[in-house]
Amino acid sequence: MQKKLLAIVVIAIVAVAAVAVVWQLTQTPSPEARSIKIGLVACYDKAEGQDMDRAAKLAVQEINDAGGVWVKEWNTKVDIDLVIVDTEDDSTGKAVGPVTRAVLEDKVDLLIGGYTSSGTLADQVVAIDNRVPYIITGASSSLVTRRGPQGNYGGLPAGDPLRINDAEGMSYMFHYCTTTADYSKTVVKFFAETMKPLLDSTYEFGSSRNLRLAILYRDDAFGKGVLADSKAVIASENLPIDVVVERSYPATATNFQTDLTVVKDAHPDAVYVVDFIAGTAEIIKQGQRDVGLDTVYIAVECCEDPQFYTLLGEYGTGQLLESKFAPYAGPPFYLSTVDTYVTDYQAKYNTLPGMMGADTYDAFYIAKAAIEAAGTVDKAAVRDAIESISIDQMLIITETGKIEFSTGTNYHEIAPITFVEQLVWNEAAGECRAAIVYPNTAPGIDPLKQADFVLPAGYEPGS
Amino acid sequence: MPEMFTQLLGSVEKELLEFRQSDKFYFVLGAVAIGLVIPFAASEYVVGEVLTPMIIFMIYASSWNLLAYSGQGSLGHAAFLGIGGFASALLAIKLGLPPVFGLLVGSLFSAGIGLLIGLVCVRLKAWFLAMVTFGFSVIIVTLISQFDSVIGGVMGFPTPLIIERGLPFYYLTFVLAAISIGVMYLLIKSKTGLAFRAIHENEPEAKMIGINIAKYKLLAFVLSTFFAGLAGGLFAQSIRYIQVSVFDPYYSFLPLMMAVIGGLRTIEGPLIGSVIIVTINSYLYKIDDVLQGLMGPLFPNVSNVGPPLRMLSLGLFLVLVVIFLPKGISSLLPKIREYFSEKPKKAKTHEGK
Amino acid sequence: MSGLIETLLWGVANGCIYILLATGLNIIFGVMKLVNFAHGQLLMIGAYVAFVATTALGLNAYLSILVAMAAMAVIGVALERLTFRRVLGTDKLNEIFVSLGLIYVFENAAVLLWGNKWKQIPNPLQGEGLVIGETLLGYDRLVAILIVAAILIALFILLKKTKIGLAMRATSQRSETSMLMGVNIEKVYVFTFALGAALAGAAGALYGILLPFEPGIGALPTIKAFAIIMLGGLGSIPGAVVGGLLYGIAETLAVYFLGGIWQDAIAFALLIIVLVIKPTGLFGEKGE
Repeated sequence: MQKKLLAIVVIAIVAVAAVAVVWQLTQTPSPEARSIKIGLVACYDKAEGQDMDRAAKLAVQEINDAGGVWVKEWNTKVDIDLVIVDTEDDSTGKAVGPVTRAVLEDKVDLLIGGYTSSGTLADQVVAIDNRVPYIITGASSSLVTRRGPQGNYGGLPAGDPLRINDAEGMSYMFHYCTTTADYSKTVVKFFAETMKPLLDSTYEFGSSRNLRLAILYRDDAFGKGVLADSKAVIASENLPIDVVVERSYPATATNFQTDLTVVKDAHPDAVYVVDFIAGTAEIIKQGQRDVGLDTVYIAVECCEDPQFYTLLGEYGTGQLLESKFAPYAGPPFYLSTVDTYVTDYQAKYNTLPGMMGADTYDAFYIAKAAIEAAGTVDKAAVRDAIESISIDQMLIITETGKIEFSTGTNYHEIAPITFVEQLVWNEAAGECRAAIVYPNTAPGIDPLKQADFVLPAGYEPGS
Repeated sequence: MPEMFTQLLGSVEKELLEFRQSDKFYFVLGAVAIGLVIPFAASEYVVGEVLTPMIIFMIYASSWNLLAYSGQGSLGHAAFLGIGGFASALLAIKLGLPPVFGLLVGSLFSAGIGLLIGLVCVRLKAWFLAMVTFGFSVIIVTLISQFDSVIGGVMGFPTPLIIERGLPFYYLTFVLAAISIGVMYLLIKSKTGLAFRAIHENEPEAKMIGINIAKYKLLAFVLSTFFAGLAGGLFAQSIRYIQVSVFDPYYSFLPLMMAVIGGLRTIEGPLIGSVIIVTINSYLYKIDDVLQGLMGPLFPNVSNVGPPLRMLSLGLFLVLVVIFLPKGISSLLPKIREYFSEKPKKAKTHEGK
Repeated sequence: MSGLIETLLWGVANGCIYILLATGLNIIFGVMKLVNFAHGQLLMIGAYVAFVATTALGLNAYLSILVAMAAMAVIGVALERLTFRRVLGTDKLNEIFVSLGLIYVFENAAVLLWGNKWKQIPNPLQGEGLVIGETLLGYDRLVAILIVAAILIALFILLKKTKIGLAMRATSQRSETSMLMGVNIEKVYVFTFALGAALAGAAGALYGILLPFEPGIGALPTIKAFAIIMLGGLGSIPGAVVGGLLYGIAETLAVYFLGGIWQDAIAFALLIIVLVIKPTGLFGEKGE
């Protein structure tokens, strides 16, 4: 029996070794024309992730139906092959594996997406190491392109654990999204420039009375980031705003009663809610319905999604949403590309699109334009092409009217314009719709503003 | 009573000799040989994302299993996985300790915390202990979040690499696993291990024959958390990142599932369980498309039925194993061997007739 | 000040939900010496059942509580006979393992059936309440407290005045003795488990009326229920009532003063403190 076993073991080892040799020999590179593989990194657990999936599929279908992407090197047009990279709940343990698989096994040419900041900061590492261009449309932390070495791709000092020393690898990261700094600025400036004057005139407050702002945020990188950025802008621009209460809650909370009561006790003029769709909708509802906090709430742009409007129901009336893509503010829309996209998306999926999908949709067209400009799928060339891209803006308004990534600053960001919408009840739709109330104009779009900001019915100021 | 202990010492030697001469020895040899050679037959992805985690979880599940030998079932082992991960990463980053050293010190740190928690737990009955350990894994998230400015665990951060990715890291993990499991094996076969088992099987009687219950339970706790910490440090290396999500209950249930499904309180159980579950998690996602096509319409509220269906099956599998195969899959192995050795026996009886 | 009073009322209402959950656990543990870590998932399923009853069948939210209790009792019977019965008497850890597996089964079944978007049971009393100055005392909270009180009274009557209640109490003291006295242990076990599950169902329905819920909400209430049992003493129903109220108030006050992140940690901090001081719980154990 022992000898038999020994024989089995020996044969097993030989067999495995033989397989290994054969495997190595059969690895051949493939230079011929093939479809372009783009991995969509998204969190399918969540509504926003599903929106990204739909937007991606719409973009890919449009591009493929029109013949595909022209690759000069192969002298032909090829289709895009969408590779689903589902990071489940986007915790670092679950995000890294699928992206690694996409890069090493599926051998994607490009990655698009990224859902949460912490998940993306973890999963982008494999893309950095393997020099895969990654157009990040989800994570709002600017670190995703700014974590390189000082003076090169960003601003993290040596010794900071998040810093990545591989400048070359960092050059493959592109952030096609607004950062928490971008939209925090819009929100606080709206309060200073539009809401405060209205309060002052309505309630005859002196102009020396600062607007009383409460910040209610989820206790994670996202929430803390927005809090920090908002306070920074208020300080640096000397805005007439006092943050009268900052209150955080665990990211898993469904019950905000107590937190809202604390906020109510601080008598704010407005509440800045920093959370995703489910949490924000709950807070706005519970605040008005259960706690009697009759103020105006402003939600962050990641709530720009059909589910948000559905969840809010009539509790959304008069409330505010900071956004960069407004599928509910029209028709008629402020931008014709938005018009087309909303119509096509609705026709295909029978629901309205959301914001994270919009970024993703644009990113596929950026990828297409870059590959065509580069004439090859070689990743370094594609990276160069994305870096120097200058195509007309699509669904996201930019300061220059073009999609361009920052150069000379050594991090790859765009300069998006964000705005503030106010929700109005729409009887026909049975839920709220939106109208842009700030700012008045944007480059190439005059007017951007669709309606004046009004105080919601039943509104009570802080003092 | 003292004769029992001298008998025991002698029996460890006897055990080892028996093992050397038994069939099991060749299986282990074969398994080790396969483990050493297989990375060459596998792609970079499989080595890094399937095989290496498989081995890391073998250490982790074995550490949990070790604790279970003494009748203590922890529901919060993720706390120590995470402590090991954070400690080794932080030591390397903040103090500039060479990362290999960091692994060791991280494990010691985890064992230290294990000592403190163990001091609370050893006096507790089974389900109290389960609750406290689970509770600890929740509190530690809150604690680490409070110290976010120092630790940075909420956003997380990359772990400095000990060794090159791919094959070097695989072999480092393999060696550490072999050592860890070897140590645990010797421990179980020693008088200490016997004490563990005596405590689990009949605590009052064990007390009567003079075994210091608290001391041995605490020892089991400290050893278990040491190896869990080691697994944590390696895990942080494997995903190259450490973040508070490592404390999720999912990571507390994984070693339990692996050990129970594989064979609770056996050496090979956690190893088998790790292979099974890591393989399932790594490859079963491929049927998600099929599942969605087949069962999607049944469940319109979910856009990707794969993950919940797979998790549900895993839970169901655990329940079925506990009810119908309480000794786990490893209890099937002797039956398989019996099947193979029946044939020659049958032939003999035929000839006899 | 008004905020504090509102918060206190909320804490009491929450505490009442915990009382129901803890009592169910207590009864099961007292009679069967069984630990079911999936008890919180029974609360979760109860919430969904009540939700379905209210939205699909159009029942009043408060009637749905009864539907939830009945449904959970049936599920409880099935659980006891199919799973727990088979591991009773084997390795003590087996119960823990079975309950863990059940957690995954229940949670993922809920995800498959209902998705993981938050739901809430439409509540006829929503948003309305007694207004005293600046303080808003929500009617739904007051009603929840009354309902729990009613259930507890009914439970008390059941345990003290009925035959089955007597059998349960006898079994919780000494099973061998009760068997000798002609008590059908198996029947008592099934009934007890079903009763515990029904209580969890009621807790779930009330939870769903007051709060948004999703498949993952079961995990933490289980731990809190255990913590309450420790505070109040294993097997002691009055202990669970007092413990539950204290816990609900303590938790809400902690959140009010210290911040939301302490909401869950409080349970464990309390637990660990109690266990360090007195490993058998504050009031010790009854019937062990």
